[in-house]
Amino acid sequence: MKPLSSLRDGIGFDLALVGAALLFLFLLAGLPLVYNVLMSFQQVDMFTLNALIRPFAGFQNYIDVYRQPEFWLVAKNTFIFVFFSILGQFTLGFALALFFAKDFAGARVIRGLFLVSWVMPGLVVGAIWSWILAGDFGVLNAILKGIGIIDSPMFWKSDPSLSIWSVVIANIWLGLAFNMLLLSVGLAAIPRDIYEAAELDGANAWERFYTITLPMMRSTIGAVLALGTIGTLQQFDLFPALTEGGPANSSNVAQFWSWQMSFKLYDFAKGATISVMLFVIVLFASIIYVRSTRHEVRG
Amino acid sequence: MTRSNTSLYITIALVLAGVYLFPLYWMYVTSLKGGSEIFANPPTFWPRDAAFSIYPEVWARRTMPTYLTNSLIIASGVTAVTVLLGTGCAYVLARYRSIWIDIGLFFILMLQVLPASVMITPLFVGFNQIGLLNFPRTAVVIATAAKAMPFFVVLVRATFMNVPRELEESALVDGNSRVGAFFFVVLPLARNGILVCAILTFMTSFGEYIYSKSIIQDPLLQPASVGLSSFLGPNSSDWNSIMAYSAIYVTPILAVFVILQRRIVSGLTSGALK
Repeated sequence: MKPLSSLRDGIGFDLALVGAALLFLFLLAGLPLVYNVLMSFQQVDMFTLNALIRPFAGFQNYIDVYRQPEFWLVAKNTFIFVFFSILGQFTLGFALALFFAKDFAGARVIRGLFLVSWVMPGLVVGAIWSWILAGDFGVLNAILKGIGIIDSPMFWKSDPSLSIWSVVIANIWLGLAFNMLLLSVGLAAIPRDIYEAAELDGANAWERFYTITLPMMRSTIGAVLALGTIGTLQQFDLFPALTEGGPANSSNVAQFWSWQMSFKLYDFAKGATISVMLFVIVLFASIIYVRSTRHEVRG
Repeated sequence: MTRSNTSLYITIALVLAGVYLFPLYWMYVTSLKGGSEIFANPPTFWPRDAAFSIYPEVWARRTMPTYLTNSLIIASGVTAVTVLLGTGCAYVLARYRSIWIDIGLFFILMLQVLPASVMITPLFVGFNQIGLLNFPRTAVVIATAAKAMPFFVVLVRATFMNVPRELEESALVDGNSRVGAFFFVVLPLARNGILVCAILTFMTSFGEYIYSKSIIQDPLLQPASVGLSSFLGPNSSDWNSIMAYSAIYVTPILAVFVILQRRIVSGLTSGALK
């Protein structure tokens, strides 16, 4: 009876609650992750797909992936996609967060409306932007032409020099609201009287921002940047909806390339290898994220 | 703050929100335009003769009832698994402080950051080996639940932290078992927070794409996201149908969001950074 009563009244209760979830996560996320690394060192093709024991390939898959002609193009695109998405999401999100931090009636409600982008299915967002960015009849080209920024239409999705930017633009829109929300939380935590004291001392708006807001927000900014990087590396749905990585891989990034290898070319070994490489990058970003939230985790 | 200042700020805020939400407006407006008007140059910002006839047409032609039913089944399954397993986990992680709790939290935070595109290849091969691909919707449900659960646990944990310990302790003194105290004291107090997080989980898994696309081959079992992708493509031209499909797909989600906006935002802000 002892285990049963412990389950009802003692530590067994806690262990059962936490254990069920952790076991599930271990089976569905931890184990696949290990399996992924294992597959990247094996020969996996249609013949050995169902085999439990496959030939060992050593680093051959890694060498093969590196030797793919599009390897550096995809690496460069992944960098552009992450860097400029974050740049856009963060700066615009910060500007909006600062604006909505002004305490006026309706600020919270209107700010909340921005978050609809975040709950929309990624594929729908991709479809809408695909139409907005269309070369001939897209509304963005019409607007840019109307205010005199461009003379001839830009073919956002089909011009190889622009295609990656079409996904960047859509992704900035998608992630902007979440950045703004998190930064708003950080801003709200700064005590008002510090600003009042600084204002009495004659600090102007820029000085107050530079000497109070930024330093006080350091851990929030770290977390937001790391989360943004992680979220951008997780972004997948926009690619099949907008450009499918094309034309000629000019908008392909690691996460979509990996999927194409596995599910378009059925080269599961290369797919696994690319995703291991991607995971290493995500790991770096998440270490920053976990570190920046460390002291908040325990509170 | 003076009154004129306030109205100035509200005006600016509304303009900003309007610019930001223009893509949504454009979706609805395009769906109401006729076949030739969508290709007008320059585009019309208000449909010349708005027609709703495209909605029933797309609904029937793209077999949307089937797709949306599958989306509903998958999203409900994901939410059920996530809530059942995640709630208890979040509760325990909120109640104690020890090195083991920190390790558990770290593990969960690390799983939160895994891209689905990293997980799909090993999951697909593994599911194939154990025969789970014969039940594709179930396979998608448990894969997506594993993806959704870390975020749910982190958010619900913040909710449980707001439930005073004293209430639970006095319930124990009154003769409740731990199980009794959990179900009759703690859970009712955290109910609203859990509900909001469950709705959030439902909304995100309602739009799930990558797992469904990779795992479900049979069009009769695919969710609405995959159904949408099948008529998107570099050469797609019936944009009013695509936008009508998108509008039918997202309007329920948007409606729920607008109704629950305050709660969702406060739930996110209290949990997201912790």
